[in-house]
Amino acid sequence: MLGELFKGLGTTLRYIFKPPVTVQYPEVKRPVRERFRGRHELKRFADGKERCIGCSLCAAACPADAILVVPAENDPANPVSHGERYAAVYEINMLRCIFCGYCEDACPTNAIVLEHQYELSFYDRRASIYTKEMLLVPPDKGHGDPPPILLELQRRPSPPAQIDL
Amino acid sequence: MADVTITVDGVTITVPAGTNVVDAARMAQIAIPVFCYHPRMKPVGMCRMCLVQIGTPKLDPATRQPLLDEAGKPVIAMMPKLQTACTTPVSEGMVINTQSPEVKFAQRGVLEFLLTSHPLDCPVCDKGGECPLQNLTMEWGPASSRFDYTDKVHFEKPVPLGDLILLDRERCILCSRCVRFQDELADDPVLGFDHRGRNWMIISRSDPPFDSKFSGNTTDICPVGALTSSDFRFRARVWELTPIPAVCTLCPVGCNMTLDMRHERLMRVMPRENAAVNDIWLCDKGRYGHRFFEHESRLTAPLIRRGEKLVEASWDEALSLVAEKLEAVQRAHGGAAIAGLASPRLSNEDLYLFQKLFREQLQSNNLDHLPGAPGEAPHDDLGALLSVGKDANLMELGAGDVVLVLGADPEEEAPLYVLRLRSAVQRGAQLIVANLRPTKLERSATLAARYLPGGELAFLHGLLRELLAAGGRVTVKSSGFDDLKRVLNDMSAERITERAGVAAETIAAAARALGEARRLVIIYGAEARSAGPAVVEALGALLALSGKAGHAQSGLIALLPGGNSRGALDMGVRPDARPGYAPLARPGLAARDLWPALRDGRVRAVWIAGLDPAANFPAARAALAEAEFVVVQDLFLTPTAHLAHVVLPAASVAEREGTYTNAERRVQRTRQARGPVGHSRPDWQIFAQVGRALSARAGAQAPRDTTADDAWDYLTAAEVAAEIAERVPGYAGVTYTALAATGKPGTWGRQANEAIYYDGTNYENTEGIGIKLPAPVESGAVSINLAPRPAPAPGDERPILLLSQPLAYGGDPLLRGSKLEQHVPAPYVALNSADAERRNIHSGDLVRLDSAAGSLTLPARVVADVPPGVALVPADLPGVELAAVQTGPRTRVHLVKLVV
Repeated sequence: MLGELFKGLGTTLRYIFKPPVTVQYPEVKRPVRERFRGRHELKRFADGKERCIGCSLCAAACPADAILVVPAENDPANPVSHGERYAAVYEINMLRCIFCGYCEDACPTNAIVLEHQYELSFYDRRASIYTKEMLLVPPDKGHGDPPPILLELQRRPSPPAQIDL
Repeated sequence: MADVTITVDGVTITVPAGTNVVDAARMAQIAIPVFCYHPRMKPVGMCRMCLVQIGTPKLDPATRQPLLDEAGKPVIAMMPKLQTACTTPVSEGMVINTQSPEVKFAQRGVLEFLLTSHPLDCPVCDKGGECPLQNLTMEWGPASSRFDYTDKVHFEKPVPLGDLILLDRERCILCSRCVRFQDELADDPVLGFDHRGRNWMIISRSDPPFDSKFSGNTTDICPVGALTSSDFRFRARVWELTPIPAVCTLCPVGCNMTLDMRHERLMRVMPRENAAVNDIWLCDKGRYGHRFFEHESRLTAPLIRRGEKLVEASWDEALSLVAEKLEAVQRAHGGAAIAGLASPRLSNEDLYLFQKLFREQLQSNNLDHLPGAPGEAPHDDLGALLSVGKDANLMELGAGDVVLVLGADPEEEAPLYVLRLRSAVQRGAQLIVANLRPTKLERSATLAARYLPGGELAFLHGLLRELLAAGGRVTVKSSGFDDLKRVLNDMSAERITERAGVAAETIAAAARALGEARRLVIIYGAEARSAGPAVVEALGALLALSGKAGHAQSGLIALLPGGNSRGALDMGVRPDARPGYAPLARPGLAARDLWPALRDGRVRAVWIAGLDPAANFPAARAALAEAEFVVVQDLFLTPTAHLAHVVLPAASVAEREGTYTNAERRVQRTRQARGPVGHSRPDWQIFAQVGRALSARAGAQAPRDTTADDAWDYLTAAEVAAEIAERVPGYAGVTYTALAATGKPGTWGRQANEAIYYDGTNYENTEGIGIKLPAPVESGAVSINLAPRPAPAPGDERPILLLSQPLAYGGDPLLRGSKLEQHVPAPYVALNSADAERRNIHSGDLVRLDSAAGSLTLPARVVADVPPGVALVPADLPGVELAAVQTGPRTRVHLVKLVV
């Protein structure tokens, strides 16, 4: 009986001299794994154009119906993204999102990526809706070159669609 | 036609001879993939997707009998190469193999080839999700391509074919469905091919580009995303849409359509299949002209006049003010001092309650459904009494049947009739088109007659005379036959041909066709109705004398303005008859007589629902400005609403339920697609609420009838429809439940979920095809008066006949906010070149039209397709006060060239 007591205290005594496992969150933040699925980011190409082409496939893939995409046509003089279409509205409801990553899988341009930010708490439901401005990375943080299909470079000019009678 | 027995993949079926192999296989529930073949068009075999193995029984050269093998079965000689199933008609004993390795190899090869330069930009393509190329590739295509992805040919895109349709050359697989639709079905051959090889492309050959009222249908039948509409481009993905079944109210055809909604916003309008109405098509007005209910100028709250200004008020205030004022006028001056005008665009429920409010609550018969401008023709009764009968279906007209189109321009008045009549001609029906000027439909006619201006009655008398001479007899209850016979016998053939301006042989040929017809449908429009009631009555006599009156599939179809004019007439929104054409002994004031009565104080209060008489009609504007009390109920703050004392915001057709009666008297139901804008309410609800307030007031003064309150307690539109079914003759059984029936399954010529491979992206009709009302003449309930009216005395001797021409893209206020607004022409008067030359008028010159009523100045447009002696002005264009110059539907005018 007494022996068991000392055995237990001995364990306690041993841990006193080991470094603590407790992390002082939020002062200290543990690094997450490379494939951690946290808050989404909308990526850009290296030239600063948005990768998102407003195709809504992320919304179609989303099992929680957390994503809203309203597409629009690019102004050729001042395009938001490569190609004809871009997302005029892009919203994710973080309360609905289950961080499954299906949107990332569905995205044909790797525009939406679940990144490492996990501090998602809100005082009201409205604040849980992340708009496109909140999700987009800054213009200078783009990466990669757009695929040829999105580029206008190799397109042949079309003759006028109407001929003189 | 004789049937033949064929074997498809081991399944033996019997199909009508002449069927092609694709359709025959569909009947055996076997799908052969197609791109270029469309069941409504002639096959061309361009896409090669439908390649199958075909064999026919080997014949003994000596006996011409099939050779039999040892087992006693016919020996099948397979054709050495694969055949295109769409261009191969079936023959007796044919064996078709759609599953063999050769066929599968060919299908994979064709798809691999079609995809060589397809951009695979499905994520941004509007067709993605309802695309036959996607579907067929998934089911029949190869998993990968041997072609190098970077070798794809790219083109600049999009290429606008017109302002409504855009072409993406990269996606186009050159199946020519759009070209053939325009050539074969729409008769607007404006599309064609240009260049060759890899540069082969679709082009528009017309000026303005893609000049067709049916252009939107090409996007439906395009099997890839090559043709997209600028109206829907990049607005949503198709799987995100909620299709709400609705009925188009923009013209009297009543096409079935869906309002594809996303989050309470209209994304696009698509045709909904209804073989008896619009088949699988929709005209551009219906497809693109429904943006009005999202226009920012919609009224959102009731307005009450306080001094010079209209101030927002609550519904309670507005409704009690309306009830109070109407009751006060009724008490002081009687019900005859109150008048009501309701638009022929409102639903049957609205119109029924409107007339009930006036007849039962306000004791007034001063009801009408048109603004009462001088250009309006009298109300059309024969189009209902002699209408095509129960179960009539223009899509069933074929060989032996005759359609007579007289004085109508269906392309402008009811565009979809062009497609339906053309398809009837293709099935073998005879189409007789008689007009005073050339119309587009005339090109499709088997017999065309062009009478002189004012000669339509003589032309009809000529036809009647021929029918009488051929022994025509009247088989329905009628009166005045002897009068008609006497008048016709008094006429000489020479005089008729001279006055009609039509050769005697043409009249005789037309009369022979009418007399021999198996079924006879007579369609008449604005031009015929403008010539006076005698012409319409002569058309009725024509139907009766041909012996077709009362036959189920024969009858008259009147093209009236507005989407529900027939409903308004059926519901008795007119001064001279109760619902169901029961004439009144003491009729009220028609709209035409309303304006003078309003000015001299005989009428003190007027309620205008959905009409805008003040816009183009000076007499109405002046009368309304002086009226004691004006209620206007509309979607927008119209010029008439500016003159009102109370403005009530109404819910648009998309924001409420309702039923509408089309030109053929088919009742169809539309459903609510979105919540009302602001505080707007459905029209029937507003009428019911005022009715309840009025009956409560009457009850408070003399508590007598306790049921009076219940008379206005309607919770839903369905309850109003149930009351209509009970009370309006002819509408028995037309309840919302009955309207939801879709007829026999399989009658639509499609298999479940397969339409997308074949027909296009129109929607299947699962929500009801409507109910065709029986014609009163079928049951013998009415008697037709055949006695001809005495010829009108020639009045005005001015040289030019002024006609107003209804245009599809005319000044319809409901086109606002749509892409069609830019198609509304600037005002003009169209003149014949001979008339113009005589007066030294050139296109663009200002011309003054002087009539007995007044004058109007318009720029001239010198054209070839207006006969001499006629001036044509588009009706209802904004800013053209045609009412100022018109003395009636037809006005004689002088032309004066203005020199500036």
